[in-house]
Amino acid sequence: MGEPHSRSSRLGGGPEPGCRPSPPSQFELFFSVGLVIWEEGAGGWSNMQCSTRRMGIITDVHRRFLQLMMTHGVLEEQDVTRLQKHCYKVHDRNATVEKLEDFINNINSVLEPLYIEVKKGVTEDDGRPIYALVNLATSSVSKMASDFAENELDLFRKALELIIDSDSGFASSTNILNLVDQLKGKKMRKKEAEQVLQKFVQNKWLIEKEGEFTLHGRAILEMGQYIRETYPDAVKMCNICHGLLIQGQSCETCGIRMHLPCVAKYFQSVSEPRCPHCNDYWPHEIPEVFNPEKEREAAGVSKANRKSLRSRQH
Amino acid sequence: MLQKTRFRGRPSTQAETERDWGHGRETRTPQGAADEVPSTSRGASGSQEAAGTRSPSARSASAAPAMELKVAELVQFLLIKDQKKIPIKRTDILKHVIGDYKDIFPDLLKLAAQRLEYVFGYKLVELEPKSNSYILINTLEPVEEDAEVRGDQGTPTTGLLMIVLGLIFMKGNTIKETEVWDFLRRLGVYPTKKHFIFGDPKKLITEDFVRQRYLEYRRIPHTDPVDYEFQWGPRTNLETTKMKVLKFVAKVHNQDPKDWPAQYCEALADEAARARPPPSVPAPSS
Repeated sequence: MGEPHSRSSRLGGGPEPGCRPSPPSQFELFFSVGLVIWEEGAGGWSNMQCSTRRMGIITDVHRRFLQLMMTHGVLEEQDVTRLQKHCYKVHDRNATVEKLEDFINNINSVLEPLYIEVKKGVTEDDGRPIYALVNLATSSVSKMASDFAENELDLFRKALELIIDSDSGFASSTNILNLVDQLKGKKMRKKEAEQVLQKFVQNKWLIEKEGEFTLHGRAILEMGQYIRETYPDAVKMCNICHGLLIQGQSCETCGIRMHLPCVAKYFQSVSEPRCPHCNDYWPHEIPEVFNPEKEREAAGVSKANRKSLRSRQH
Repeated sequence: MLQKTRFRGRPSTQAETERDWGHGRETRTPQGAADEVPSTSRGASGSQEAAGTRSPSARSASAAPAMELKVAELVQFLLIKDQKKIPIKRTDILKHVIGDYKDIFPDLLKLAAQRLEYVFGYKLVELEPKSNSYILINTLEPVEEDAEVRGDQGTPTTGLLMIVLGLIFMKGNTIKETEVWDFLRRLGVYPTKKHFIFGDPKKLITEDFVRQRYLEYRRIPHTDPVDYEFQWGPRTNLETTKMKVLKFVAKVHNQDPKDWPAQYCEALADEAARARPPPSVPAPSS
């Protein structure tokens, strides 16, 4: 839930002699244009040997998919499916379309030795599945390729801290902008900072709702481990899936928290929801479980609208 | 807290790393290592499938894990750097990725090139012979629907670039800057006026496209007032052909490429020249 599942236990790596980066520079790694650097149990070399053995066969269908996935960084499942169909149409009309899960696994098998992975997660608010191309290895190489300047990264860090420290998982733009005087690097004005925040939203690192910011699922997929290790005292966990929780519901008696999609599943068809920890009455509205069928119907209706919007943009 | 995990899985001391390298060198030459990659990355269908038996090539690959990791870093570095479309300098690769592994740089580069092409469909080529800078060429033909699935994240500047490339080719492969702006003005693109899609067109054409090496831009000597001229840059010749550009121009004019006999002949000759094996292989020099 929210937090990606680690496929294997993390193996502690020795710091490389002579070039240990300071945490702030490490932080920049997260912004290397979709190829974000964080290791999350990519497996040691023993795993890598296995992967060599079960490495799948990939074709231009997979390659085009990967290329387009790289330009997006993150996509919702329905768009991933659309992308997959598109790639089959371009290269191999007659081939049977691989099941999405197998298709992604196949791609991941060749990505593994490169420490890159197409990772699946879900959005924290309504539980829709998303896929992001993430980087599993820490490496110093991509930080220069970062799209963001030092002060911009520091602004993100400030926003991240406010979001994590908040009870709701949201930080107001006012509170974030009040910190611009403390930023490292070049001086930033509030007006500029507002634009940078919008850039974070565009690049799907942050989500904005009514002047408040929270983390995008992409950021959680890519930085989950970093956040847990950097803010061990401030982070919240979900009582159901035990993953990192940014926004969710909490028990007013014992204080445990749950992701909204976890709440939805846990209390599905329960008439009198009670806290799984203290058994007290659960005082929040129970959200609906994400239903892709329903989603598709809604998408069918709005598709025409979206299309006209796109053509206007060009 | 935040650990550097390059050599994750094996807390590597310098000595250990060196031992790995020594082992790698003993068992096979670096050349051999390079040749082996396609067999490991493509070989899942063959004999390697047998469950539980580790294939010889997989085992020997484990002999140089540090090298594998360097290759992974190199691949990521090249992918990220290429997004800005500025040729990647060999010295930058050495400085930021290769570090102490300088003596096997050609082998690392060869392995990275194989991975890039097999996994992502990008071909690593040296921009010009002995230029020591590299670019990635997409081996997959762009299709129009790509833009559709990409949403609005396409690159509208490519259209302007194609227009300028077409103009250069149609005008005999060299064109004065003043002529370019005379033409673009008719399309509503002015050198001094901010454009709603292209931003600062003057900067885009005379700086960005030049730095990306799509265009050559130089001062014409002994002119008063000062004027500059454009030609195709080396990236253009690697990413596209005269025939493709001519077809683009013809499409824009709703005409046939053969309607411009001189350019058509030149484009045909260019295609024939490309079909011949090149005198020097344009692959990364080793």
